[in-house]
Amino acid sequence: MKFSRRLRALFRKDELDQQLSDEMAFHLEKQIEQNIAAGMSAEEARYAALRKFGGVEQVKEECRDAWGVRFVESIIQDLSYGVRMLRKNAGVTAVAVISLALGIGANVALFSVINAMLLRALPVRNPQELVEFIRLDPEGNMMGNLEPREYEYLRENSSVLSGLLAFWTDARVLRSQAGSERVVVHEVSGSFFPTLGVPALIGRTIDPADDRSEVDHNVVVLSYPFWSSHFGRDPSVVGATLRLNGEPCTVIGVMPLDFFGVNRSRNAAMWVPLASDPHPDYVWVLGRLRPGVSIPQARAQLEPLFHRAIESFRDSMKGWRKEDQERVLGEKLLLNPATAGTSDLRWEYWEYSNTLKILVGMTVLVLLITCVNVANVLMARSAARTREMGIRLAIGAGRLRIFRQLLTENMLLALLGGVVGLLVAAWAHRILVTLLVGNRQGVGLDFRLDGRVLSFCLATSILTGLLSGVLPALRAGNWGRAPATGDALQLRGSTRLPFARKLLTVQVALSLTLLIGAGLFVRTLRNLGRTDLGLARENLVLMSVDPSLAKSIHDRQEFWRSLTGRLTTVPGVLSASLAGDAVFGNGGWNNSVWVRQLDGSERSAQIADNAVSPGFFSTVGIPLLAGREFSMADQANSPPVAVVNRAFAREFFGEDDPVGKRFGHAGAGSSSQIEIVGVIGDAKYGGLRDRPAPMFYKPLFQSFQDRPYYVHVRIAGNPPAVIADMRREIQFMDPDISVYGVRTINEVINGLLQPDRMFAVLASAFGLLALVLTSIGVYGVVAYQITRRTGEVGIRLALGAQRRDVLWMFMRETLVMLATGAAIGVPAAVSVAHVLRSLLFGLEPFDPMTIVWATVTLVGAGALAGFLPARRAMKVEPMVALRYE
Amino acid sequence: MGKSIDLLQGTLDLLILKTLALEPMHGWGISQRIQQISQDSLQVQQGSLYPALHRLEQQEWIASEWGASENNRKAKYYRLTDAGRKQLELETAKWERLSAAVSQILATA
Repeated sequence: MKFSRRLRALFRKDELDQQLSDEMAFHLEKQIEQNIAAGMSAEEARYAALRKFGGVEQVKEECRDAWGVRFVESIIQDLSYGVRMLRKNAGVTAVAVISLALGIGANVALFSVINAMLLRALPVRNPQELVEFIRLDPEGNMMGNLEPREYEYLRENSSVLSGLLAFWTDARVLRSQAGSERVVVHEVSGSFFPTLGVPALIGRTIDPADDRSEVDHNVVVLSYPFWSSHFGRDPSVVGATLRLNGEPCTVIGVMPLDFFGVNRSRNAAMWVPLASDPHPDYVWVLGRLRPGVSIPQARAQLEPLFHRAIESFRDSMKGWRKEDQERVLGEKLLLNPATAGTSDLRWEYWEYSNTLKILVGMTVLVLLITCVNVANVLMARSAARTREMGIRLAIGAGRLRIFRQLLTENMLLALLGGVVGLLVAAWAHRILVTLLVGNRQGVGLDFRLDGRVLSFCLATSILTGLLSGVLPALRAGNWGRAPATGDALQLRGSTRLPFARKLLTVQVALSLTLLIGAGLFVRTLRNLGRTDLGLARENLVLMSVDPSLAKSIHDRQEFWRSLTGRLTTVPGVLSASLAGDAVFGNGGWNNSVWVRQLDGSERSAQIADNAVSPGFFSTVGIPLLAGREFSMADQANSPPVAVVNRAFAREFFGEDDPVGKRFGHAGAGSSSQIEIVGVIGDAKYGGLRDRPAPMFYKPLFQSFQDRPYYVHVRIAGNPPAVIADMRREIQFMDPDISVYGVRTINEVINGLLQPDRMFAVLASAFGLLALVLTSIGVYGVVAYQITRRTGEVGIRLALGAQRRDVLWMFMRETLVMLATGAAIGVPAAVSVAHVLRSLLFGLEPFDPMTIVWATVTLVGAGALAGFLPARRAMKVEPMVALRYE
Repeated sequence: MGKSIDLLQGTLDLLILKTLALEPMHGWGISQRIQQISQDSLQVQQGSLYPALHRLEQQEWIASEWGASENNRKAKYYRLTDAGRKQLELETAKWERLSAAVSQILATA
């Protein structure tokens, strides 16, 4: 009610004012009547009445205060006045709004990426009820997914959940007239769709009846994008049959466009029942809490259940080592909120890496620089308004009122910056996502503007407005004390903006930190690009090949044997070879080895190994230093052999020739099993930052394993044409074989450099922005000082100062400020670099080259920005300057 | 007129409410009534009456309407609302407690 009264008062103000006047007039007239009755003259009676009443206008103002409209009214006044001031100083406004927009825009762009990657709720019923199940080792480290039998046990016995679902991500080969292609499928439990509560767009979803091993589980639900691309959104697709891994599957439904499953980083093309996977090792498990059940309550029930589940599998651990059994029995269960679903992106970019956190740090730094810059620009302007403020104070404005007026102006500026910043973000988040995630397959991020991003933008704008506005507004209150109407010359002499220079110093320091960081990232990227890989990276192509599952193991072994030979018949292929782990894949698998030492003792260590086919080292270009490569003669029935790298040889045999030495990987006492027949150079295998680590290679066909292999092909000339020919050749061998992940090593390395490139590009862009803002800041402050001190310059010149003395006077102040900023900024940057040490490559956090380069750039730009206005001061004509007074 | 007492903070509100409890009245009437009943010993600065009236109205303890005064002139009449009646009881009780306490101290100390 009271608020509505106020509103009424606000809109009926004129009417109320009139009533107020009438009311007072009535009172006065009554008093005058009374006075006249008491014998006064009309004139006397009137004066007496007014005297007795007190100040009429003052009383009216107090009454208006009582209506509570003054506050609102003055805000409207402030706003309209603010708009007028911003329009009057269009130049200052433009500079401030643009820098605010860039600062706010960078933060909003990053936030909208974080929102899309980590925060946005799943498009399912009540997503806030969902929880994710994670297995922890006895020390509490995350281990990830649950075993299917653990899932079954929990599903049957828990009462705190209204639903529990399991799924696993797999790839299957889809066969069509056009050929074979690999599609991402999510194998889901029958409870998956009912628990999520998402109905199909057409047809139906997978229900528990489909997910039983004893029934026909060959049904499939399509995603909307797959339906669009493969069936042109034809609704009659329901009932059609697809061939997946050689099995016919019936399409039973299509999901709505926005449903991507529960894993944002691996969008499914289709969903199939979990029962169609004969041996899933692990499953992702998500549960829906009953309404009113909290996560701790749920965990209190589910963890004992989880332990009972593990206990019940004790029989299957017979024959295990005691400590291994203990470890399994000591596992714990963690429940995480899964409102946003489960996503690899969260682990990759947030939990296990600092990528996003560093980006947040960078954008916050940019925002701070922006704030300081805007504060500076405003400060110079509010100093120019000293006279205005003085007059306002003199005619009775409260200091608080003036403070509020300036803050309102600044808020207006910040909100304007926020609106433009939103536009900046709409454009910048695409660049950010490309830099961050690259063209990774299957990642579906929803960037639609939502309330969260909007609130973030608003909050950032308000915070920015406060940060950049409070100090200048407070200072303006102080300047108000200066004699505004006093001697003009005195006024000019007194306004040297020492505080603005301090702010500028801070800005220089922050900008230098960013610039040095950018320099370090750029140099890191260059060092990584030039690092010696130990193999020949040009014209090397990688392919993943998955042989048809329909054939027997023997057929598949034959397929692999003949594959490399068939590929070398393709024109443009120089050589081809297979490996269990690809170059720049996982970096080999760790294996325990026992090596016979010179003194006859056995030494054991964890060493990465890899299985490769003949000709591998010459294909990828790792030099053979001694001995021989594998040949077709290294068979299951020939003596076991291995090739080791130089680091392995150094580690175990020192300077001795390792060829002919022996080691084993079948437990203690196996050290004479395998003979080393060759030594190769150290090549980076896992990552570009790798240091040479011991590694050994086994002949792939000596102990053949039935699994997909990576084909490495050395080609001559045009990769796309040769790749197309190779694909055709393989499909010709067997149309059910899928060839996927075809990429050149250069593409792989580019992918590995993605984060480094992102940091280099973003830090450079932000550094450049900081450089520009700081230059604007220096220019603004110096230019302002010069206009204020024209008179002083005139006097100095008239008294015989040289023009270059005047120039030096201003330049010295600028240079001192820049130097102070650099003196703060360099140590700050070095300590930040120490924190980021793991991201650097080929240089130390204290990198003199970078520091010198960044400091020279910033100080140079700052000095130039100071010189331009200072040169104007030099040209002042003394007579003109003095007459101006 | 004799010596008059300045009003304590908040007591003006109480007096206005009390005055209006008898009958609806305009501002001038209220000021006259307070002066009359207190036999001129309480001096209300007439001007300060109006902000107090508007404040009480804003708090919805009193309501106002325009009506005709004695010699048929338009005047703004105030009357007590139900909320105002409750407030008057509250304020009266508070005042009595305060004055009793003060008297007690003055009598004994």
